[in-house]
Amino acid sequence: MTANVSFHSVQQHFGNFVALENINLEIEAGEFLVLLGPSGCGKSTLLFILGGFLTPTNGQVLIAGSDMAGVPPKSRPTTTMFQDYALFPHMSLRDNVAFGLRMKGQNKKTRNLKADEMLDLVGLADKANHKPHELSGGQRQRIALARALAVDPEVLLLDEPLGALDMKLRRQMQEELKAIQRKVGTTFVHVTHDQEEAMAIADRIVVMNHGKIEDVGSPEDIYLKPNSLFSANFMGEMNIVPMTVKKGKVVLPFDSISAENIPENPQLCLRPENVGLTGEFELGPATLESSAFFGTYHRCHFRPLAIPEIELVAHLPLGEVPEVSAEVRLFGSNPVLLSA
Amino acid sequence: MRILSWFYLALIFGFIFLPVVVLVLFSFQDSRLPIPPFDGPTLKWYVNVIGDRDLMAALANSLIVSLISAAVALTLGFLAAQGLSRIHLPGSVAMRGLMIAPMTVSYLIIALGLLNVFNSIGIRPSLWTTGIGHVVINLPLCFAIIFAAMGDHQKNAERAARDLGASDMHVMFLVTAPMLMPALLAAYFLSVTFSWDEFIIAYLLTRFDVTLPVEIWSMLRSGLSPATNAIGSLVFLVSVALLFLLEFTVFRKQKT
Amino acid sequence: MSIEKTEKIRAFGFVVPALLWTVAFFVIPFAVMVVLSLAHLEGRDVVQTFDLGNYVRIFSEPSLVKGIVVSLEITFVVTIVSVLLAWPLAWIIAMQVPKKWQRLAIMLAVLPFWTSYVVRSYSWALVLGENGVVMQTLIGIGILDEPIQIMATRTATIIGFVHFFVMLLTLTIYSNLVQLSPNYARAAQDLGASIWNTMRLVIVPLTLPGIMTGAFLTFVLCIGDYITPQILGGGNELTMPQLIMLQLGRRGDFPMASALSIVLMCIVTLAYFASARWLKMERV
Repeated sequence: MTANVSFHSVQQHFGNFVALENINLEIEAGEFLVLLGPSGCGKSTLLFILGGFLTPTNGQVLIAGSDMAGVPPKSRPTTTMFQDYALFPHMSLRDNVAFGLRMKGQNKKTRNLKADEMLDLVGLADKANHKPHELSGGQRQRIALARALAVDPEVLLLDEPLGALDMKLRRQMQEELKAIQRKVGTTFVHVTHDQEEAMAIADRIVVMNHGKIEDVGSPEDIYLKPNSLFSANFMGEMNIVPMTVKKGKVVLPFDSISAENIPENPQLCLRPENVGLTGEFELGPATLESSAFFGTYHRCHFRPLAIPEIELVAHLPLGEVPEVSAEVRLFGSNPVLLSA
Repeated sequence: MRILSWFYLALIFGFIFLPVVVLVLFSFQDSRLPIPPFDGPTLKWYVNVIGDRDLMAALANSLIVSLISAAVALTLGFLAAQGLSRIHLPGSVAMRGLMIAPMTVSYLIIALGLLNVFNSIGIRPSLWTTGIGHVVINLPLCFAIIFAAMGDHQKNAERAARDLGASDMHVMFLVTAPMLMPALLAAYFLSVTFSWDEFIIAYLLTRFDVTLPVEIWSMLRSGLSPATNAIGSLVFLVSVALLFLLEFTVFRKQKT
Repeated sequence: MSIEKTEKIRAFGFVVPALLWTVAFFVIPFAVMVVLSLAHLEGRDVVQTFDLGNYVRIFSEPSLVKGIVVSLEITFVVTIVSVLLAWPLAWIIAMQVPKKWQRLAIMLAVLPFWTSYVVRSYSWALVLGENGVVMQTLIGIGILDEPIQIMATRTATIIGFVHFFVMLLTLTIYSNLVQLSPNYARAAQDLGASIWNTMRLVIVPLTLPGIMTGAFLTFVLCIGDYITPQILGGGNELTMPQLIMLQLGRRGDFPMASALSIVLMCIVTLAYFASARWLKMERV
C-alpha cells in the first residue's frame, strides 16, 4: 500500500516561535523522501504534523488526495517509527508487532501469523517470544520497523530512527531500510540530520533550515548543484573563491568561466574534490601548507599566491601530493554559483 | 477528556485539602469547640498556644532532636555511601542490605526494640534515646539517597583529584561533598522532616522532655479544642513557608 | 601491603560507624526482641523462657486473631482505594497539566504532607465528627436527616489513611509517568488504539513499577501505624499496632508486644516478596 502526500502552505507556530513557515511539498507515492536539516530546523515538526500528532497553525495536509484536517493519528494511513522506538517493554516482540492488528480487532491467530511474517521480513523471526530489553539497538530498530509496517500503512514516517546506532551498524541498517522500502513499496518519509545517511537512502532529499525548505532534489542534484549556500554547506565542505562578474562571465584572477543564470551577489563554490592539479579552469599558483592522509585521498590545504587571505581545501588522489610548501598550479572543475 | 480531568482534579484536591482547610479555619474559631458554625475570626488561640510553656518547650525539643539527629544520620550515611561506592568490598551487598533494612520495619517495632534494650540495661527514656531512634530511621534514608547519587562521573572526578595530589579529606570536602550537594541537602531536609514529625518512637522513648507530636497527642486527650487547631496550623504554615523558601532559593538555583 | 588492600581497609573504615550504629541500635534490639518474644509474663515480671506460647496465643486467642484480620483488611482496602484514586490524579498532572505548572501542581497535591501526622488525623476527626463539616453540610443540603456515625468506625480510619496514601502514591506514580517517553502513547494511538486501550494496554502496565513501589510503601506504613486507627477508629476494633501498644501500656507485657511485632514484621516481609518483582523492575 502506498499513497502520495501534499503539504499546502503549512505553517506551525509555538507561541512567538515560528517552527515552520509556509511549507509546500509534494511527495510521490512509493517515494523514499528524506527531510534533512540541522536540529531545530522544523523537520521533525513537519513529520509530526503528517502523523497527526500536531495540528498545524495554518495550511493543509493531504494524503492520497484526502484532507487530513481533524483526522487523529489512529485513523490516518500513516504509522511512525519513533526516535526512541517506543517498543512496549512489557510485551513480547510478537505482541509488539501485532499490536496494531489487535487494535483493528483481528483475532489472535491472524494477527500472530502476520506478525511472524513481519518478524521474518526484518530477520528476527527466531526472537518472537523475547522482550525488547533482550535486544541490541539495531534489533530494536528492526522491531520498531516491523511493528509500524505490520498494519500496512500507506505512508511510513521515520523520525531519526538510526540516530542511536553506531556508525557501522548505521550504514548496514540504511541499506536494509532501503531494501525493505523497495520490497513493500510504501511511501517512506525519513527525518535525519546526517547528510551521508540522506544521500545513501533517499530518492529525493528536502533540505530544511529555520522552518523553510532550502532545497529539493535527488542526492546527486543536491550535492553537485545545490540551490542555496546553506544546502551546499550542509551537504559537505565547500571552498568559496572570490570572483567578479563581467559581461555575463565569471572572472577569476587567472581565468574566466562562461556561465548562465548568474544569481544576484554570486559566490563561486568548489567542493574539495573539484580542486586539483588538473581541471576545467585555472585557479592560479598556490603553496601547499599541510596535508593529511585520509585513506582514499589526501586532504590538502593550499594558500593561493594571488589571494593569500583565503585557503583552499583540496582532496587529491593518492600519489599526487606535492611536498609541503611546494608551489603548484591549481585548477578547478564543476563550479557552482550561489548567491551569498 | 479535558473537562473530565478538571472535574476529577477539583474533586480530589477538595478531598486532599478538606482537613487542612478545616484545621486552619477553625483555629480562628471564637467559641471553645472547633466545629461549625464558624464564629471567628479571633487570634486568641494562637496567643494561648504561643504562651503555653509546655508546648513551646516541646517545640524547642523537637527542633533540637530533629536538627541533631538528622546531622548524625547524614554524616554516617555519607561516610558509608562513600566507603561502599568507592571499592567493591567483600560483603558489600550484605552491608548495603543491612544499612537499608530499618527502612522496611515499622517505626513501632524499632521503638519497641530500643525500649526493650534500654530497659534491660537501665537507660532511662529521654531526648537522647529518642534521638538515637531517629538516627536509626533516617540513616538508611540518607545512605540510600546519597548512594544513589554517586555515579561514575563522581568517581572519575575523585580519582582525578587524588591524581592531582589531594588527600582523602580534601577529596571529600572539595570534590565529593560539593558534587553531591543536591543529594546531601535533600537527605538532610527529609531527615529533619521525618524526625520532626515522628510520633511513636518519641512517645515510647521520652518521659518528661517530650517532643511536639507527643505534646500534641496529650492535648488530644482533653478533647477537641481550637488550641490544637492553632498549633497544628502554625506548624503547617511554617513548614510550607520553609518549603517554598527552599524551592525558590536552593533548589531553583540548582536547576540553572 | 598492596595499594588495593590499603584502599579497601580505608574504605571499610568509612563504613564502620554506620555499621556499628545499625548493629547496636537495630540488629541487637531486634535480637533482644526475638528472645523476649519467647518469654512470659508472671504477675508483673518477665520470666525468660524459650517457648512459642505467645505465638500460639496470637493465632488462637480470638481478640488477637481479629487484630491481624482487621489490620490486613484495612490495609488492603486502603492500598487498593489509594491506588485507584491516585493513578488518575498522577496521570492528569503528568499529561494534562501544562509543563510549567506541573511542579506547582504536584507540590499542591502533597501539601498536606506538611501538617504534622498527628494533627492530620485530628483534622479528620473534626471533619468527620457528628457535628463536623461533612455531616452539617449533608444535613444542610437535605441529603441526611440526622448525622450518621463515621467517627470511631473503620470507615474513618480508612478515610484518614487514604488521604495520606493518595498523596504518597501520586508522587511515586507521577515520577514514573514523567519518565515515560511520550512516544509510547503516540505509538499506541498511531497503531489504532483508543484512549481506553492506550491506557489499559500500554500506560498502566508501564507504570506498574511506580504503582507497586507506592503500594508497598502504603502497605508497610499503613499496617504499622498506630496514630490513625487510634484517633479515628476508636477502640471497637483494634489493629495490630493498637494491640501492641495495649500490651505495653496496660499490662506491661513486653514479651507479647514483642511477639506481635515479629508477626507484624513477617507480614511486611511477605508483602515485600510478593511485590519484589516489580520493585526491582524499576532499575531496568
